[in-house]
Amino acid sequence: MRGVLRGLVSTTSRMTVVDLEAGLEHLSRGTARHVDTLLLVAEPYFKSLEAAQRSFTLAKDLGIGRISMVANKIRSSRDEATVREFAGRHEVTVAGIVPFDPAVVEADEQGAAVIDQRPEATSVAAIRRLADRLLTAA
Amino acid sequence: MKIAIGGKGGSGKTTVAGTLARILAERGQRVVALDDDSNPNLAVTLGLAHGQAASLPAIPRDWLEEKPDGEGGTRLELKVPAEDFIERFGQPVGENLTLLVMGQPDHGGSG
Repeated sequence: MRGVLRGLVSTTSRMTVVDLEAGLEHLSRGTARHVDTLLLVAEPYFKSLEAAQRSFTLAKDLGIGRISMVANKIRSSRDEATVREFAGRHEVTVAGIVPFDPAVVEADEQGAAVIDQRPEATSVAAIRRLADRLLTAA
Repeated sequence: MKIAIGGKGGSGKTTVAGTLARILAERGQRVVALDDDSNPNLAVTLGLAHGQAASLPAIPRDWLEEKPDGEGGTRLELKVPAEDFIERFGQPVGENLTLLVMGQPDHGGSG
């Protein structure tokens, strides 16, 4: 059944956003076949970046055309530098830098969408810039 | 554009996915958000209330057909246009955005 639904990604004329299974070891040929852009969300600490790097290698092997990192929960310019340095070293582009944002934590706790609760939140603003970048590059 | 969003559990990938889908829809794109996580909670970050995010109903058998998978077996494929399927089984989230949840292990094509 999942195969059927993944097939929809290819056949629909609509733009699609797929929230993948956590942990990219699940990234399969089946999913990759239908996707042209992979965003790897990583936090600015070693284990998270390493996991993103493994996923990146796997995704490249699977032939996904555009692979970028989105750095999330960035608390400082030092965090941002860590991510950018890592990405540069591994030749991955950084499509977005999303700050750590208490509004996200709050929304999670309340089971609500941050974009509804706090449309002006810094994290939402950062994801708006990410969207613009994706639309411009498409 | 066919975007997939991955990351470790806890990385915030679902918040990024849901918020991004909402913003793309706001920008006038027609968007399908697919929840491929076996612990599906994309609906919440899209702004659907608890319980409003119904899982996919069982897909009628006559919407599906078996096709050779090229490796000696068969796989199920949709017999109907993607748009028909999305309108029938998708969960609308505002004007341009539809959610499909596929992490439901018990809906294996029966019914």
